[in-house]
Amino acid sequence: MRWLLSFLFLGLLGVAQALSASGNRLLVVLEELDDKSKYSKYFGDLEGRGFQITYESPKSESVGLFTLGERAYEHLLILPSKSKGLGPNLTPKILLEFINKGGNILLTLSAITPTPTALVSLLLELDIHLPTERNALVVDHFNYDTLSASEKHDVVLLPRPDTIRPGVKNFFKGDGKGGEVIAFPRGVGQSLGNTSPLLTPVLRAPRTAYSYNPKDEAESLEDVFAAGPQLSLVTTMQARNSARFTVVGSAEMLEDGWFTGEVKRSVGMGGVGTDAKKVKTCNQAFAKEITGWAFQEIGVLKVGKIEHRLNEGVRSNITNPKIYRVKNDVEYSIELSEWSWDKWVPFTPVAEDVVQLEFSMLSPFHRLDLAASGTTTNSTVFTTSFKLPDQHGIFNFKVNYKRPFLTNVEEKNTVTVRHFAHDEYPRSWVISGAWPWIAGIAATITGWLGFVALWLWSKPVPLKLTTSGKKIQ
Amino acid sequence: MRFFSSSVFSSVLLVAAGVAEAASSWNFDEAIISVQSKGAGNGLKDKLSDHVPLAKPVTFGPTDALKIVLTATEGGKAKRPHQAFLLLRDQDTGLEATLPFSVKETGKGKVDFTQKDLPPQLLTSSQPLRATLLIASFGPSQAFSNHVFDLDVQTDPSAPLPPYEKPLRYGKLAEIHHIFKADAKSGPKIFSLFFALAVLATVPILFGAWAYLGANVDHLAKATKTAPIAHTLFFGAIATMEGIFFMYYTSWNLFQTLPVAGVVGLVAFLSGSKALSEVQSRRLAGER
Amino acid sequence: MTAATSDSLLKKSTGRNTRGLLRLVILCTIAAAAVASRLFSVIRFESIIHEFDPWFNFRATKYLVANGFYDFWDWFDDRTWHPLGRVTGGTLYPGLMVTSGIIWHALRALTLPVDIRNICVLLAPGFSGLTAFATYLFTNEMTTSPSAGLLAAVFMGIAPGYISRSVAGSYDNEAIAIFLLVFTFYLWIKALKVGSVFWGALCALFYGYMVSAWGGYVFITNLIPLHVFVLVCMGRFSPRLYVSYTTWYAIGTLASMQIPFVGFLPIRSSEHMSALGVFGLLQLVGFVEFVRAAIPSKQFGTLLRGFVLLVFAISLFGLVTLTFAGVIAPWTGRFYSLWDTGYAKIHIPIIASVSEHQPTAWPAFFFDLNMLIWLFPAGVYLCFLKLNDEQVFVVVYSILASYFSGVMVRLMLTLTPVVCVSAALAMSYILDSYLTVKSPETPESVSSTADSSVSGNGSTASAKKAAKQEGGLRANRQPLVGIYTLFSKISVVSAMTAYLLIFVAHCTWVTSNAYSSPSVVLASRLPDGSQHIIDDYREAYQWLRQNTAEDAKIMSWWDYGYQIGGMADRPTLVDNNTWNNTHIATVGKAMSSKEEVSYPIMRQHEVDYVLVVFGGLLGYSGDDINKFLWMVRIAEGIWPDEVKERNFFTDRGEYAVDDRATQTMKDSLMYKMSYYNYNSLFPPGQATDRVRGVKMPEVGPVLNTVEEAFTSENWIIRIYKVKDLDNVGRDHASAASFERGNKKKKVTKRRGPKVLRVE
Repeated sequence: MRWLLSFLFLGLLGVAQALSASGNRLLVVLEELDDKSKYSKYFGDLEGRGFQITYESPKSESVGLFTLGERAYEHLLILPSKSKGLGPNLTPKILLEFINKGGNILLTLSAITPTPTALVSLLLELDIHLPTERNALVVDHFNYDTLSASEKHDVVLLPRPDTIRPGVKNFFKGDGKGGEVIAFPRGVGQSLGNTSPLLTPVLRAPRTAYSYNPKDEAESLEDVFAAGPQLSLVTTMQARNSARFTVVGSAEMLEDGWFTGEVKRSVGMGGVGTDAKKVKTCNQAFAKEITGWAFQEIGVLKVGKIEHRLNEGVRSNITNPKIYRVKNDVEYSIELSEWSWDKWVPFTPVAEDVVQLEFSMLSPFHRLDLAASGTTTNSTVFTTSFKLPDQHGIFNFKVNYKRPFLTNVEEKNTVTVRHFAHDEYPRSWVISGAWPWIAGIAATITGWLGFVALWLWSKPVPLKLTTSGKKIQ
Repeated sequence: MRFFSSSVFSSVLLVAAGVAEAASSWNFDEAIISVQSKGAGNGLKDKLSDHVPLAKPVTFGPTDALKIVLTATEGGKAKRPHQAFLLLRDQDTGLEATLPFSVKETGKGKVDFTQKDLPPQLLTSSQPLRATLLIASFGPSQAFSNHVFDLDVQTDPSAPLPPYEKPLRYGKLAEIHHIFKADAKSGPKIFSLFFALAVLATVPILFGAWAYLGANVDHLAKATKTAPIAHTLFFGAIATMEGIFFMYYTSWNLFQTLPVAGVVGLVAFLSGSKALSEVQSRRLAGER
Repeated sequence: MTAATSDSLLKKSTGRNTRGLLRLVILCTIAAAAVASRLFSVIRFESIIHEFDPWFNFRATKYLVANGFYDFWDWFDDRTWHPLGRVTGGTLYPGLMVTSGIIWHALRALTLPVDIRNICVLLAPGFSGLTAFATYLFTNEMTTSPSAGLLAAVFMGIAPGYISRSVAGSYDNEAIAIFLLVFTFYLWIKALKVGSVFWGALCALFYGYMVSAWGGYVFITNLIPLHVFVLVCMGRFSPRLYVSYTTWYAIGTLASMQIPFVGFLPIRSSEHMSALGVFGLLQLVGFVEFVRAAIPSKQFGTLLRGFVLLVFAISLFGLVTLTFAGVIAPWTGRFYSLWDTGYAKIHIPIIASVSEHQPTAWPAFFFDLNMLIWLFPAGVYLCFLKLNDEQVFVVVYSILASYFSGVMVRLMLTLTPVVCVSAALAMSYILDSYLTVKSPETPESVSSTADSSVSGNGSTASAKKAAKQEGGLRANRQPLVGIYTLFSKISVVSAMTAYLLIFVAHCTWVTSNAYSSPSVVLASRLPDGSQHIIDDYREAYQWLRQNTAEDAKIMSWWDYGYQIGGMADRPTLVDNNTWNNTHIATVGKAMSSKEEVSYPIMRQHEVDYVLVVFGGLLGYSGDDINKFLWMVRIAEGIWPDEVKERNFFTDRGEYAVDDRATQTMKDSLMYKMSYYNYNSLFPPGQATDRVRGVKMPEVGPVLNTVEEAFTSENWIIRIYKVKDLDNVGRDHASAASFERGNKKKKVTKRRGPKVLRVE
């Protein structure tokens, strides 16, 4: 029976492995179903990758993220709509519930159609702030497309994004050759709160870009919502349950026109781009990466076997015991795989990053880098060995591997570390300081036996000394 | 108006010439930077250049107010740009604060700020902040950007900095290795050995003293004759008891020891009372 | 009582064997009465373990029975004091558990498989029978009157002071410790009288057993040396004393050191130094006596005495030096609190927070001992009359125990045996004097005093007074006692009988009403007079057991730790074994701080559920809000800057929970958890707290970081689940406010400079 089940499970796994690590049901919310022709290439790509797309209008009665309390879709793509709200089926609460239940959302904004209030307040909950003016858009007088926006400068051209900080995996670099250009037409920039570690900007505006409201009559900008890299154009948020929420500031960049269009950049800071040529945008490739990340086709980590065992000279055959003793030598290993588009591959952290193991009680006693000790076809085994601390208590082997763009790995294996049992201390004869005492015991025993013998069998001797009056037997 | 001395910039103009107005570009005129210090009157006043930054960093104290006044020009004519920003960049982290100029219709722009207006992160920078001036607007005119001065922010060491906590960002953390308590150590072995031998040496001394005082086992034959079993068993039991203790010390546990000790103890008690009454009888007989 | 009186009646007329048999029968009856009077709780409720500590002992016993002795010895308990764990095997007194374990194994060997719970429940009553027997033996060492022992036995059997700790289900260390205490004292007196190594060794063995059973062994450790010291000072040094004390000290100390919890304390801690000191003193005195016997010179004797005093002073000085150097552990806080009752409240609130560590209220003496308390001084006085070594012991014991029982309610227990013994001495003296049918013949030598005693209408007191006038405290002078009129005989005897009957009635009443409640189950009366059981505790613990993960950590105040461990079988943060003050203070801090402060603490300690006891609905006064100030005080002891007791009092110094309550009080997690949703039970504005007797504010508290998981039928126990971190990284307050449908206000006006986002 069990093997049958496991076959069934393997079969299911096979189906699921067609694409995203979490599933392939995708709901696209767009106002006019006819609009979808604008995104035909994009949807074509998605379908080509195996997504089962359902198109719904926010006004439709039938749009619902849940059926019978369970998620009806794994992924949700929201395209801009003109209406102020998104209807009763897509309230911020429901969208948040969708995230909390593990659903991924890709939200696109547009400066042409104002963002519905429902989405604004949802973004606010996530500490993503949109400009207060509903028509605000991002312009850059230094990096604009001279072909399509020579006057308005609202088609911002950007290179592929750099790694935001060392030790973070960059999924959005393309083949990494550089020179590719992303067109970001008429988009809405977001500013991110500083506190949340869950937010990561993917595409940040160039130093010279800023957000402004074209409706504003004033010709000059007195108060700027956000400018430069503080203005995020594509933002990602990975919830604690690894559900992904992605905001793409410009829905237009996914349209067919920009997938194939050609652009030519303006002169930028320090005179770059003076000899710019017409180039094809890399929007299609970038959209694939962004969507792939948003819908968990890349950057998904899976934990395989976790083993810890006693290793004092000889490796113990008992894996994952519940209890250890203080100062035991133990070995810990964890198997990690990474989902890359359509298969599990061995996971390797990028340079300057490392998987760490914490052995903690209240606070970590050990925090050790795990070294890759071997790979299987689709996983890497990370291992370390160490001596347990000389403190008894209830400890956790904790691998808390949380990195931007990778799903959270939070593995906690609780073990008890007990004190030395009464017979586990070094015996007294090993301790040199105890020798006089042991000798004392031996002397006492010998003396006692001698005394007993004398008491029992000694024959009195005639008194020899009488000076002190003492009698000697 | 000044022209860019750099040849790069002239080529920029040439390339951008595809559009009619390309020749025009944004710049500024008459840029005056002044630092007003409250109390101490050593204010600074200087003129900004559009191609070379100021030679010395501008010192910016905790009570100072910095003010820049300039006139933006497009193609030499004073005009109001849409974007007139002063960017202050923290060279350590790359963080940049944007300070927009308030520009009048005439192109006259002004920005003034104190330390209170700067983001808290920039106040703690170890290097001077790099100030860049941006002047740009819609249309084909060439935008202006250049590094104009460095700003050395000096915070008041006595006053606390505005509260800023480094936010949590996921990444690898420093390694921690538990520091173990030192093991208990014994003193030098030679001392232990010496004292152990000294203690053991008391045994021969004791026996010697006994022998000197006339101790003997002459009554052994007599005793074994009167109560042979009792004496043998008693002494045997006492010796065995020491053996049991030894076994307990080396290998036995309590539940192995107790029954054996109980049996031997009983033997010792029973035979002992016999043996000792024999000893008493000898004493009563005056033989002891 | 009638048995005892008839015994003395029969004394003259029947043979030795009959009297012996009768005595045995009486003793058995007393034992049976002692056991029977402790069964109220089983009959009224059920065979259940009581209160708090017994739950741990019960759990430990189950562990012992299931895993064997050595596993028990090395037991590391990972289900208490999370996440520190407790080296339980090394921090408990194993005597109680081992005793039950042995009984369990013995019964199984006799093919009587009894549930270990029943053994645990009935162990204390069983041992109380033995205590009565031990008291009989002890008293018999004190007097020649055969009735005194039996009276002492029956007093001991039913005195409420002892019953309070030994009813069925009160499976605590004291259950066997009092028997061991009395028996050790008996053996000590025996050893002292006989001067034999054998009795001394037996005494030491039982002392070892006592050490293994109860921390109160220190009482013996100090009482016996004190007795010896007093004897030596009285010039009563004798070889008997030397032999019995040195035997006891050597073997007893070795035996006590076998208990891991005690370990090296007997040679390292100040509390044990008196025993060591007296041991040394005896060697000196013994040596001096020996030398003096050998060299009969008066001057030399004085010299020797000086030498003794010198050595004593030097060693005392050495002791003090060593204490200050830290070699010898200084006096513990618990010890100081014995001398200064206010000490604990200031320095160790954790000790003061225990109700049984409070000074005794004077009615408690009468409540627990009834007429014995006034017979007690008379008995002690009788000991002065015939002052032998053993009577000195009773005197010393009664002085010491009287003092300690006044300091701590709990130590009433150590006083009870000596009160029973002394009272029995007095009572038997009265009865022996008045129950003789024959009129005494006047001896010529003391005829003058006999007259005065007769004229004093037969009062023994005046007879004694007369004797005192004559000979003072000289033990060898026999006071004259004699009663001549039948009327005085009958009246006194009937008065005494009445007192005894009242005593029995009082004991029964106290036992049944005050000491037989398991405190796990509460009983109340319905209007029609029938009994109604309030079973909230077990309901809640059962809920925990069935609805939470096996390793769900429960945070509660330490009082409930043992019960949660025993009944709900869930790991706890703190429990009644209050060995780690900091950990308890941590819990106190979590309870008394704001949610935002408490939440990280609870996360760090991996708390899954928080349990509070709330009596407001039912009027159950032993709830957490009433204990709350102790939590605050204990937390303040560790974090004086973060938790302040003052902030929990209103400006007028009141501890209020209603509208007047301070903001700190209203923000504290404990307050919020206690009154969360309480308003919903009442019509608007009518919510009343029946313990504090106040009206609650209109708007109840709001909880963000925890959510209600369970509330028992009468709201006594409320259990809250600690929420996980917010999935999308908000703080709990805003997440909860979003859940309630409040939109986040967009910050329109920014104050201060903009904070840049750092990557």
